[in-house]
Amino acid sequence: MSFFRFLRDRIPAVLIYTAVTALTVIFLYATRCGNTAVAVTILLYILSGAIILLWDYFRRRSFYARTISALDELEQKYLISEMLPDADFADGEILCELMTETCRSMYENVAAHKRSSDDFREFIELWVHEIKLPVAALLLMCHNDGGKAAEYREQIKRIDDCIENVLFYTRSENAEKDYIIKDVLLSRAFNAAATKNISALRKRGVSIETDGLDTAVMTDGKWLEYILGQFMSNSLKYFSPDREPEIKVTAEEFPDRTELHFRDNGCGIPQSDLPYIFEKSFTGSNGREGSHSTGMGLYIVHNLCKRLGHSIKADSVQDEYTELIISFGRNDFAKPV
Amino acid sequence: MSHILIIEDDVPIRKELSQLLVNAGYETSAVTDFSEPLPQILSSPADLILLDINLPNVNGEMLLHEIRKELDTPVIMVTSRTNELDEVLSMSYGADDYITKPYNPTILLLRISAVLKRSSAPSKQLTYRGLTVDAAKGTLSGAGGELILTKNEMIIFRTLLDRQGQIVSRDQLMTALWDNEEYINDNALTVNISRLRAKLAEIGCAESIETRKKQGYVLL
Repeated sequence: MSFFRFLRDRIPAVLIYTAVTALTVIFLYATRCGNTAVAVTILLYILSGAIILLWDYFRRRSFYARTISALDELEQKYLISEMLPDADFADGEILCELMTETCRSMYENVAAHKRSSDDFREFIELWVHEIKLPVAALLLMCHNDGGKAAEYREQIKRIDDCIENVLFYTRSENAEKDYIIKDVLLSRAFNAAATKNISALRKRGVSIETDGLDTAVMTDGKWLEYILGQFMSNSLKYFSPDREPEIKVTAEEFPDRTELHFRDNGCGIPQSDLPYIFEKSFTGSNGREGSHSTGMGLYIVHNLCKRLGHSIKADSVQDEYTELIISFGRNDFAKPV
Repeated sequence: MSHILIIEDDVPIRKELSQLLVNAGYETSAVTDFSEPLPQILSSPADLILLDINLPNVNGEMLLHEIRKELDTPVIMVTSRTNELDEVLSMSYGADDYITKPYNPTILLLRISAVLKRSSAPSKQLTYRGLTVDAAKGTLSGAGGELILTKNEMIIFRTLLDRQGQIVSRDQLMTALWDNEEYINDNALTVNISRLRAKLAEIGCAESIETRKKQGYVLL
């Protein structure tokens, strides 16, 4: 708070004070007091006025300066009520009370929403486990029954993919830490994702090439499996009809990270769409022209990577290839034992 | 014939799972009363246990912990819980494998036979028509000499040999290959089979693999 700003607030008081001083001087002259007495009186008036103003100014300035610097240092600004310095003046005290009250009400509100979103997430997790039972039963029935099994299986796989999307969407949106970072063999995660999608990949006649996957990265195995599954289902959606479909998965090790490259020779992504593919609900020109696209898959993948601390980027040349690259950091604190 | 104990509370899954296993040539029994499952498990003659995690009254992981105090029968966890925590916990309690629902039945069967193979005593030497099969070295050897198979050919040969005399579908062969991280496509499978046939003929086993139209292959 600058001094002028402070003074501006006190213009009426200063004016009244000056007027009273002037009236006193006039009064003193009228009662024939000596020049010395008048001079001393004026000096005393000015001195006392200045002291009152400056004392008031400095205690306010220190309160506000401390409050503002506390606010600057805080990452979550709404926690300021915990950091307020003591105010030794009435309006400062009122301000503190108001802020404390307001922040408390906000915490309560936030906590209520957090509870309800946690409840919802828990419900979704439960629901997903629940609905997987009939899906598993149906798959077994198809297998035991033969006949039109393959067609049924395809539809059941679609249902299961939708369920997984819901599960991982809630997981990725939630602040709860429900993953475990440990050493995961890339080949194992890829194998799980590939065997899960074997029917669709076979039906399309995809040839898969892998290289260097027998390396371990620090991640959550189940999440990585889902991410790779998403890549595969994207590739399957956008393979070009003009050439034999291929997927090439390679790992490359650097001193500070391991990069996983997932490349297909599908229709590619136009340069203009490339910066937006990880955004929520972005379908791009491929999605609009081709098969059903919700624009959620890569958004969820991006969120999962962000939460696991991996970076992800995409590279593509239209009508040639699409390549997705996940980079897993390496941490000295988490060396395998 | 191996005996498999199913511990699963969802009735349709239990029924279908049991049928799947019976069709694949296993004997099965199932726990149906979950108030006191442990004594039933301990008295069962099972060679392998399929164990669900979400069970009434009891948690599958705790049950596994209890089973492991008494038995070292191989256990495969079969569950709809897809998170790393449950897998890590199950494996640390001594599960032999962890498979999530809904699973591919062919893969479940492959995993069961893999776990059974691992747990049975160092098995008798695999042989086929007088040829000794060495899966680790990737060779078939006999009086006619030694035959070197590629990894793919060996996986195909082993899968056929496991079910010698029965029809093995292309689906089963492909799943076995993929499960072993050999992601070949259907054309490559056809090529691999004809190469395997030629190699077997070379060493004196002509007419060994028969094609059954629309069904699969039989190792005679």
